[in-house]
Order: sequence, then structure tokens, then C-alpha cells
Amino acid sequence: MKKIKLTLFTLLGVAFLLQSCVDDLDVTPEGQTQLSLEEFYAQPGAYKQALAGVYGNLSLTGTGGAESSSIGGVDAGTSQYGRVLWYLQNLTTDEMIWSYENDPGTRELQRNIWNAQNPVIRGMFSRATFQVALVNEYLRQTSPEKLSSRGVSDTQLLADIDLYRKEARVLRALAYYHLMDLFGKAPFVTENDPIGVQGPEYNRAQLFNYIESELNAVLPSLKASRSNEYGRLDKSFANMLLAKMYLNAEVFIGQNKYNECLDKCNELITTGNYVLNPNYLNNFKADNHLSNEMIFTLQSDGTVTQNYGPTTVIINGQVGSIEANGSQFGVGGWGGAIRLRKQFVQKFDGFEFDNDSRNTIISGSRNIDISDISDRDQGYVLGKFSNISSTGIVGSNSTFVETDFPLFRYADVLLMYAEAQIRRDGSANSTSLGYINDLRQRANNGSSSANISLSDLTLDFILDERSRELHWEGHRRQDLIRFGKYTGGSYNWAWKGNATNGLAISANLKVFPIPQAALASNPNLTQNTGY
Amino acid sequence: MKTIQKKLLFIFFLLPLSIFAQSNLKGTVLDNFGQTLPGVNILVKGTQNGTATDFDGKFTISNLKKGDVIVFTFLGLKTQELVFNNQAEVTISMEEDASQLDDIILIGYGTTKKEDATGSVSTLDAKNFNKGSVVTAENLLNGKIAGVSINTSGAPGSGSEIRIRGGASLNASNDPLIIIDGLPISNDTGVGATSVLSSINPNDIESFTVLKDASATAIYGSRASNGVIIITTKKGGKELAVDYNFQYGSGKKFNKVDVFSANDYRNLVANLLPSQVANLGTANTDWQDEIYRRTDFVDNNLSIRGNLFKTIPTRVSIGNTYQEGLRLTNNFNRNSFSVSLNPEFFDKHLKVNVNANYSNQRNRFTDGVEGAAIRFDPTQPVYDPSTPSGFFEYITAYDDGRPVYANPSIANPVAQLLQTNDRGVNNRLFGNFQLDYKFHFLPELRAVVNLGYDKSEGERNRNRPTTARSGFLNNNISFGEKFNESKESLNRSLDSYFIYNKKFGSVDFEGTGGYSYQKFENEGLTGFNATNPASQQIAYVENDLVLIGFFARTNFNIKDKYLFTFTYRRDGTSRFGEENRWGDFPAAAFAWKMNEDLLTESSLVSNLKLRLGWGITGQQDIDESLFYRQLYNIGNPNSQYVFGTNPLNIGIPSAYGPIKWEETSTYNAGIDFGFAQDRLNGSLDVFYKKSNDLFQIAPFADGGNFSNQGPQNIGDMSTKGIEFAINYDVIRNDNFNWNVNFNATKFERRIDKIAAGVPVQTGAGIGTGGTTQILAEGFTPNSFFVYKQLYDASGNAIEGAFADLNGDQIINGEDRYIYKNPDPDLLLGFSSTMNYKNFDLGFNLRASLGNRILNGIKAENSYTSQLVNGQLQNVPTSILDNGFQNQGGGLNILSDMYIENGSFLRMDYATFGYTFQKWLDGKATLRLFTGIQNPFIITKYSGLDPEITGGVDQTIYPRQRQYLFGANIKF
Repeated sequence: MKKIKLTLFTLLGVAFLLQSCVDDLDVTPEGQTQLSLEEFYAQPGAYKQALAGVYGNLSLTGTGGAESSSIGGVDAGTSQYGRVLWYLQNLTTDEMIWSYENDPGTRELQRNIWNAQNPVIRGMFSRATFQVALVNEYLRQTSPEKLSSRGVSDTQLLADIDLYRKEARVLRALAYYHLMDLFGKAPFVTENDPIGVQGPEYNRAQLFNYIESELNAVLPSLKASRSNEYGRLDKSFANMLLAKMYLNAEVFIGQNKYNECLDKCNELITTGNYVLNPNYLNNFKADNHLSNEMIFTLQSDGTVTQNYGPTTVIINGQVGSIEANGSQFGVGGWGGAIRLRKQFVQKFDGFEFDNDSRNTIISGSRNIDISDISDRDQGYVLGKFSNISSTGIVGSNSTFVETDFPLFRYADVLLMYAEAQIRRDGSANSTSLGYINDLRQRANNGSSSANISLSDLTLDFILDERSRELHWEGHRRQDLIRFGKYTGGSYNWAWKGNATNGLAISANLKVFPIPQAALASNPNLTQNTGY
Repeated sequence: MKTIQKKLLFIFFLLPLSIFAQSNLKGTVLDNFGQTLPGVNILVKGTQNGTATDFDGKFTISNLKKGDVIVFTFLGLKTQELVFNNQAEVTISMEEDASQLDDIILIGYGTTKKEDATGSVSTLDAKNFNKGSVVTAENLLNGKIAGVSINTSGAPGSGSEIRIRGGASLNASNDPLIIIDGLPISNDTGVGATSVLSSINPNDIESFTVLKDASATAIYGSRASNGVIIITTKKGGKELAVDYNFQYGSGKKFNKVDVFSANDYRNLVANLLPSQVANLGTANTDWQDEIYRRTDFVDNNLSIRGNLFKTIPTRVSIGNTYQEGLRLTNNFNRNSFSVSLNPEFFDKHLKVNVNANYSNQRNRFTDGVEGAAIRFDPTQPVYDPSTPSGFFEYITAYDDGRPVYANPSIANPVAQLLQTNDRGVNNRLFGNFQLDYKFHFLPELRAVVNLGYDKSEGERNRNRPTTARSGFLNNNISFGEKFNESKESLNRSLDSYFIYNKKFGSVDFEGTGGYSYQKFENEGLTGFNATNPASQQIAYVENDLVLIGFFARTNFNIKDKYLFTFTYRRDGTSRFGEENRWGDFPAAAFAWKMNEDLLTESSLVSNLKLRLGWGITGQQDIDESLFYRQLYNIGNPNSQYVFGTNPLNIGIPSAYGPIKWEETSTYNAGIDFGFAQDRLNGSLDVFYKKSNDLFQIAPFADGGNFSNQGPQNIGDMSTKGIEFAINYDVIRNDNFNWNVNFNATKFERRIDKIAAGVPVQTGAGIGTGGTTQILAEGFTPNSFFVYKQLYDASGNAIEGAFADLNGDQIINGEDRYIYKNPDPDLLLGFSSTMNYKNFDLGFNLRASLGNRILNGIKAENSYTSQLVNGQLQNVPTSILDNGFQNQGGGLNILSDMYIENGSFLRMDYATFGYTFQKWLDGKATLRLFTGIQNPFIITKYSGLDPEITGGVDQTIYPRQRQYLFGANIKF
């Protein structure tokens, strides 16, 4: 009987022990790849690591390498910040054609027949709003109350964090700027909103004011131009963003702000400490982050910052199907993914471009016309970017390039100055002419043979020169809209409006549709007209 | 056997004794192992006079007359009769009754008699298993059970897509819960292994029980929505029995994708691309012949049953399975060892079951080279002595003696197979330890404790020389490959429960209540390739998964006619936050043995039972382990951001939100029938499943969370269906027995609700991130989402012409429409077993009707522009059908004309055997058999094999046809 009792008690004991195991349901992460909020901020260097996360969203799509993504509904690599921006700003224009139209969204974008279900458009909207969410989180986690509650008291660290916060606010302004430009509106969310909030809709004017006030609020505290470490922004970044807002103010808010634009350009030119790189193409090579012309670049690295961002896509994509010239650019290549539309090629027609280093067009035996987009042997190809450094060192990885994407480049400042000046005064002055000829001489190896005269310097000239100088750098759509040539039929390019030789398109295409998923998840948002 | 008998010890009732004793009989009843047997019912035929044996197996029965027939009955043993001849004392030995044992079924934390089952439950035991070459356990029951579909790939030892009634989830797993000897196992395949069930030697399996409706599965609560498969392994016995099985199979492929032969290809190129003729080679290579081979399959299995130290019934089994894959170098090699100990103590009050299984898998894996074999230029040779590797490859130049490969170009698929040494090892130990104690002072009450343990350790290494084109390429120069990954998984469970069984008047009551705890842990080293300087190996620890449940079940059996079952389970999971952590899963069922009330006089109808069941089950198996709480994800070494010159692993917040269980309510009505002593028996079930709060990756308000989307409990789906199964002993006599089994399943799944009504594009696609299928309200999940092809007057498809369904003059994504789906309209299974004297013949047939397939191979490649991609490429002969030029901006690929009817009828096996009953002077029996695995398939599908998963055919590992012979020796 004793034995039986013992057995019984053992069984009951085991059963009761198990009840207490209910606490085991509170599982905490054990690995090094995921930490709880508290564990994360308890680490030394956490505040800079989180700042790297905020900046990193401009280059990386997720934490698990180039195939991972923090956002969904779009292929991971395709959702990279610079990549979606580049798709929307360049692929929808006369500058390029993407051969693999079965990559979802590309066909509709390059034929200007997109709709609200387009995954690339959703990628842009989500990537930019994710940037806003990351900044808001950073600001919440670095508030003075949070810092003191975690016992952060080191004065140097507190001062650093204060600057990190300001830089983060500039990145949030950048994201809102992209949303304002591309979508004409955005859900407005700040660090004061709770997680899960459905942000109210801000229109262009509201966003314009917010971005302007944010940038002006932090500008005095930002680091002086080119004095911050690589990978972080400074005063010039904020000035550049403001200059772009002012240049496009007529489009964005119907107001003329060319004076303000010129002020900002002047500040960049006189105090920015930038110089044109004597070799134009050094701005697009594996070590281009060292170029004195870069205001800000989106990082790419063969090892530590792998992503399918614009430079990886451009350099692999510009490898020709016939030329198989990947080794010339230090990559494997994708068999002719990107080609040029005829109208862009024609921007370099004329003897003055014979020695222009910006003309990297490869024509070979190719036909300039593209009658069949999937025929990768049709149309000319380009050789602007490269995964080989200015000193001839090939990048470590033949897929993921070392070349950064020039988000803001000094040459653009000179072009913006000239344009704003002409728009303000009605005609060009000698300062503007000097800036344009600086670009011309740089492109011609210091020779003035291709310089222009004051009478050549018109707005139409500026538009074409911007394309010659800045093609594939994420500006073209905004430029065409500012010049009234994106929609309508005043300027048609191959496959515009889904016709081989181009067709007029509706004015509502100047802004992209709010993605269907964004509308469905936030009732405050309204669809843009015409979608 | 013994276990079952023990578990049913309590089914007895002391009947009143007559006081008019005339003569008494004393005796002892022994079981089939010679042990005393308590609880045996004893009744004098034609009277109410009866008793039962006590705990020492002894009985006394009075009031006997000479000539009375005394009947001894015990569940699971053959009923014995004794004619009373005024004996004073007798010893009765009961024998095992195979036919009765069939009637005991497992229902989760207990058993019931088949005739008393209230839920939709199907069982299959060893003697009805599929024959032929069965490498993974699930193929023992493929096609045998209505409502269960199993789709196994052609790779040796590979896993299967198992679906019970179609599955109930959209984004969460649709895999059923698999339980081996009380231990629920994880559905994740270990590193180095080929599949979850590949670690189990099919020869060690005693039976499968499939719980289909919620009234049966609800006892497993949160994991039961997709049905439950309970696997029981073979147990020890007291009589020495040795069983040796040997099987050999020789296999080969039996079908190819239709591409051009070398000579046809030369003509095609000469006609279409005269400028490319110079690039044609001089060889005649059929790449699909070159990458495959004739295969060997050898299976050896030895098992011994016996009574260890004369007290511990034991079974030991050892097995080896070696299966070569069709692809060159691919093989599966499993060594398995299992022990089962089943002793009893304290007069059978304490029963102990120990099952331990160890398996060691050594696999050589291969890359999927089917796509390359289909496209590789047939005029090029396999070998080329002028290259460093000796294989033909497209080489543009040499850099320091290293080939620079053309880009784009396809790697030589034969070279890729032969130059790759991809080996995996997986060691797995799993089993359980069960104590089943019947209380001495309260024999109606039993306590059961079951401990489960499953640990797997795997490693995989893949090496390729630097001469391999398939190695890591940098600048189109190969650096070879040195890949390594490893993983350790641990799964432990502890169940403890009480079972109380007592008869109150005409009501037989059984109550079960208990507690279940399970924890899954995984850690390992991520896969990495040492020849790629940008790749790094990272140690990881996955978040643990803990599942805890409390459960109870009551059965009422009233007058052995009316049966009620009520089940309740409360489950908690570590996947959800405290407010959503616990889920409640109730179920109720009623069964009425109609023949007992309505057809008592019928000699024809032996069984007619109506079953009605309802229940709620759950599902919590989603990818995100801790989505309910905010975490920070740390960038891996390739996801860093550089400040100055210092790369920093980024730290970013993860999206989070409240999530809870999926819930599925199931209604089931069924009829079990049997005619002529159940010679013809079967069942018919109709069911309706409504799943609510389905996990769906749905959008978050942008900017409000740390992703634009995430798992949310939004979707609703319903499934309705009907199942029919019938089993018939067509001929049953001493010399000739013929049994046939037929089942049919029809079900229809419909999405009733998805987030914000916005359809979600999904499914395998073509292009970067492309999709071909859709989840849309009102349609079957994963319906095809395509363009409507236009045809000319003579019925030929017009290239690039599609219906402008929204009439906006633009053909874009808004003109895609939902057309057909991959679900079958009807699934059929038929099997036949015939024995004539010592000959036996068996086969099975499976059919699927109305399932649709998007023929991705045709859709992607049937264009003349595909003839050149850097190099010349072969294309499917179907390019001649339409003469299409190119993929047309991805539209042609998504044409509805590539959706084909994938209906098929397949014979999985046919075997023929002869048994020498008195081999070795009657000491042994020997059965010799031969057979064919996968002898034929009948289909109109134009691709290789219509039995694919997912609905889009983008090349599969082909199934082989094997010629088998084998021997089975029993001592």
C-alpha cells in the first residue's frame, strides 16, 4: 500500500509541477539576431546602431541580407529605397527601358499604364512611410525621458544622440519630400502618434510646410558641409533638399520660390566645399563615395551593405545582351536588362558631344529603335556606372556592387542654379552660363570646345542638359513635370502611353496612385484623381 | 495488442449472482501470454447468470447445471466457450483475436471501439498498408483513406504534401498534426534529412489513425484544424517472432518533357535563325537522358519480438533503406534502429511502454537541373576534353588558366550533378516513455503519464571544385563551393491525464482529463559558402515554441445504442501575447446505432450507425514566433550600414501587433454501414468547415507600424465536402479471398473574407516576384489569375492579344481574371488484395479529376525568342503550336491557354507474391514477391506529370518506375 501511495503522490506531484510551467509561455528571444526592446537599448552603442537602422533603410531592405525585406507586397530587392525611387523617376520616362517586363510592375511603369495595384508603386509608398516610422521610433526611444529612465548620462553620448535625432528628422523630411513629389500626399505620422495609428492625410501644401519647418528647425545644429563622417548627412543635405523643394514649388504648391532656391544653391556653391570631379565617370565608379562632388550617396557594398539597389541593378542591367561586357564593369550582368530609348540617345546628337565623357552610349550594330521590348538586342545600351574603382580595382562581388548611388550631387546644384535664375529673371546671366560651362568643360576633359554661349542657355537647353548630366540618377520625371513635358503630348518618347513611338498621356499621371493596400488599411487616405 | 487489452481492463460489470446455486465452478483465466487476466466477463449462455474474473484472474461461478455453456469474453481476445461437465476447477486460456483488434481505435489520449466511435475517424493497420516500395511512412496510406490526399515528390525519401479535407488555412500551415506514439512532431525537415517522416522506418509502423472532423480532433485543440494523423509503432510480444524483409527495386524514368532532338533543333535554327547556324554544335545530346540514370533500391529490415527476461515483452527492429534518385549521384540512405519495451507491474496495474527509435540518414543531394536540361543546346556535347573540367561549358576566355564563363549561359547540367558533392547527415532519436497506472483502491481510475522526446542533429556540406561552372561565380570565374550548415532540433512533450470509467445502470461512462506540455527548441549555424568572401556563417537560436493544454473528454454510452461525446480543450501558446494566449476548443458528438433500434431482426444489416459531430479547433502554426511583442532585429554581416569606415549591424524595430488563434468550426454528419456481418462495410460523411480569423498577411496603415503588412486574424474560409468509403470482401473462403476498397472525396474551398476585400496575389511566378495565383473573396484559394487569350477565326491563339476585360483600351493588370483553380473536383482511391491459396496479388489506383495546372514550362519557354539567351537554347516543341515570338511583356506567360486539365489516373503499385507456408520443415514461412511501382498513369496533361503541388508546373523531380522483387521470412 505504501508503494501505491508513493506512486500516486508521484503522479499527482508531476501533474502539479506541470501547472506551474504555464509561465514557460513567456518566451524571450535567445539568439543574437533578435533582441527585446529593453535588451537592445541596454547594449553599448545601441543608439548609434539604431541610427544605422534609420540610415540603413535608404540602402538595405531588411536585416537578413539582400533577399530580406521589412516590407511586403513587393519583391524584397525591388523594394530598396533608391531602386523604387529610380524606377518611378527614370523608368517612366524617355531615359530607359527594362527588358524583363514579367518583373511585376515594370511593364506598366515604362508604358505609363500603371494602376493602384502596381507593386513597385506600393514599394515606394511603403518604403518611404517605413522610413517615417523608423524615425518616429528613434525619436521616441531617444527622448530625454527615455534616456534618463535608462540611465544614459554620459554628456558626450547625450550630445551625440541629440545630433542623431536631428539627422533622423532630416531623413523623415526626405521621406515626406518623396511622398509629396511622387504621390502628392501622405499619411502624416510623427513620433507623438501611437503604434498602429492611421495617419491623417496631408496634402502637398501641408507636407511642404512641414518639411520646410523641420529642415529649418534642425539646420543650424547640423554638422557643417562635408564635416560629418561618411554615411551621415550635414547642412548641405538639408540645403539641397530645400533647394529642390523651392525649385519645384510651382508644381508642388503653385508658388514661385526661385529666389529661395537660388539662396540655397548659393549657399551650397559658396560654403559647401564641393568641387566637380575632373573625371565625370569617377562619380559612378566603385569608389565614388570619395568623389568631392557627392552631397549624399546611397550605400552599396559587395560584402557589408549588400542590396539590390539602383547601382547593383544599373551596373548588372547595363551589361548588353550582345556585348556581354560585364567584365568591363566588374559584374556578371543580367543579359541586357536595361536599354535606352531613342529620344534619350538623341540628346547626344551633334559634333559637340563627340568627346563628351557623359556620352557612354554603346550603339554597336544595334538598331536605335525598340519595336519589341523583350528583344534585348534592340536599342542602344549605356556604360555610365561601373563596379570598378577609379584606380582600376574590381569590386569584391560581381553581383553586389561597391558603387554608391548619387542621391544628391554637386553638378545638380549648378544646373538648379541656372534653371532657377532663368526662371526668375526670364533669361540666363553670366553666372549661370559659367556654371553650365563648368560642367561642359569637365565633360570634355577640361576643353572649352563644347562650351555654349549665353543665347544657347534656355530652359529647353537646361532640360536636355540635365538629362545628359544626370540621366539614371533619379531626377528625370520630376524635371519633365516641371517643364510640362511629362504628361500631355508636347514631348513623346518611345513607348510613352504604350505606343511604339509614344502617345500623349493623361495629366493625372503626374502623381502616382495611392496603393490599393494603403487605401484599404487607412480610411483617412483618398485616391488621387483619375485612378 | 497487449496495450489495448490492458487499457480495456475496466470494461466489465459484475452481474448479480443467482442465490439458487446448484453447482459451482472455480477457475483461472489466462491471456494469450499465459498471464492471469482480470476483468474477463463470464456468462452462462441464455441466462443472466454471470461473473467476472478478479484481479488475479480467478473466478467462481455458481448455479450451474451440467451442459450449461459458459461464455468467456474479453475485448480484444477471442471469445471462449466451455461446456460445464461438473468440473470443479478449470484454467481457460484466451487467444488473441485479430479481427476484434481491428475494432479498437485511437482517439487521442485514449482508445475506443470502432463501433462506439462518434467522430469521423479512419484507421489503417499494417495488413492493409500499401505494398510496393515505400520509403517514407505516409505512402503506406496514400489513396487508402477518404479525405486524405498525399503528394510525394520523385526525390528519394522526399516529403509529401499531406492534406486532410483540403486544409483550413490561407497563410498558416495546412499540414496535419502528426503524432507518433503520443508525441506531436514538428513539421520542419531537419538539416541533412529529406523530410519529416523520412526518419521513420515504415516497417516499424503498426497503424495509422486519421482524425478528420472536429469532434474527433478537438482534443488536440489549437493544432487540430488540419486534421490529425496518429502513428502507432509496433510493440513487443511474448512469443518469439522473427521477421525479415528484403526488397530490391530497379527504377528508371518513363517520361520526358518534349523538347527538340538535336537534328530537329538544327533544322529549327536553320529555319528561324540562319545567322545562328554557325553556333550549333556537332553532337547529338539528349540532356534529359544524360542527367538521369537507372536506379537501385535496396531495403532490408529485421525485427524480433519476444519476452525479454521472460517479463518484458520486447520488439527490436533494425533496418536499412538505400534508394537512388533518378538524378545522377542523388541517393537516400537510412539506417534505423528501434526498441519497444512493454512490461507490466503490480498485477498489471502499472503498464510501461518505452519506444525508442534511432535513425541515421546519409543523403547525397542534387541541384534541380531539369530546367537546364530542358534548355541546354542539344547539339552540344556533354564532355569536352579541351576544358579544365573536361565538361562542355560556354567559355569566353581564360584568366590565369581559369575559365571565364559566358554570361548569360546555362551551366552544363551533367557537369553540375557530377561536380557537386552535396552530402547531408541527420541523426534523430525519438520515442516515448509511458506509464499507465490503474489505481489499486479505485480500479475504475487510471493515470497516464507520457513523456515524448525527439532530437535531431543534422549537418550538410556541399563542395564543388573550382573547375565547376556551378560554383560561386565572381566576374564569371568560378571559385568552387564549400558550403556548410547545421541544425539541432529538440522537441519534448509531457502529457499526464486521468481516465475514469464506470457503468452506471445502462449508462457506460468514461471521463478523461489531463494536461499537456510541449516545447520545441532549434538552433544551428546558417548555411554559408566559404568560397564567397561576402558570405558568413552565423550561429542562431530560434525562439522556443511552448504549447500547453488542458483537456477533458466524456463519453456516455447509453444502452449501447446512443453515444455522446463531449470534448473540451484549453490551449496556450508562446506565439501569442497574454490577452490572446489561451483558446477554448469545445466539441460534441452524438452517435446512434440505428440497427439496434430499427433493424434488430435484420440478418442483412449488421451495422448502421448515424454520427453527428460539431466542434471548434484551432491553428497557431505561423512563421512569426513572437509577433505580439516589439523586438529589434539586428542586421546580419551583409546588412550593415557604414558610418565613416565602420560598418554597423543595423538595429531596427520589427512590426508587431495582436494576433490570436485561427478558429475552425466543423459540422460533420456520417453514416457507418455494414452488411452481412460487415463483409461489406463503409461510411459516408458530409462536412462543412468554417474557418474564421484566418491568418492573413494584410496591410497595416502605412507609417503606423514597422512594416506595410503583417499577420492579422482577418480571413474567413469555408469548405464543404462529402466522403465515401467502402470495403468489400468480394470472395471469402478457405482458398480464395478477395478484398476491395474504394473511396471518393469531393470538397470545395471558398474564401469568404479577406482583409479589406483586397485580393492578394500569390503563388509561384515567373519574373522577379511574379505571381500567377490569387486569394480572392468568393473563390477557391490560389485560383489562377491570368489574361484571357484571344483566338483568330480558325481557333489559333493570337500572340499578345488578350481580352480587354475592363474596357479601358489598355491591357494591364486590371484585365487579369480568375480562371480555374488547382483543387481537384474529385479524388478517388481504389485498392485490391487477392489471395488464392498461396498466391497473392495486390494493387492500388488513385485518381484526381478536375485539378488544373498552369504549365509553367510551356508558358515560359514556348517562344522563338527563347532560342537565344546569350547562347543557343532548346525550347519545348510546343513552340510549333502557336509560333509565338516572345513573352510579350510577361503577358503571354500569364495567358489562360496554359492552364490545363491535370486529371489523372495512376497506379501506384501492383505486386504479386507466393508464400511457402511450410518452409524449413514448417519452422518458417517464406513469401517471395515481385511487382511494379508506378506502372502507369493516364492523363491528358501535356507536361511531365500532373501530380504536382501548388498548381504551377515549373519542372519537377520526376517519379521513377521501379521493378521490384523481395522476400519476407517469418520464424
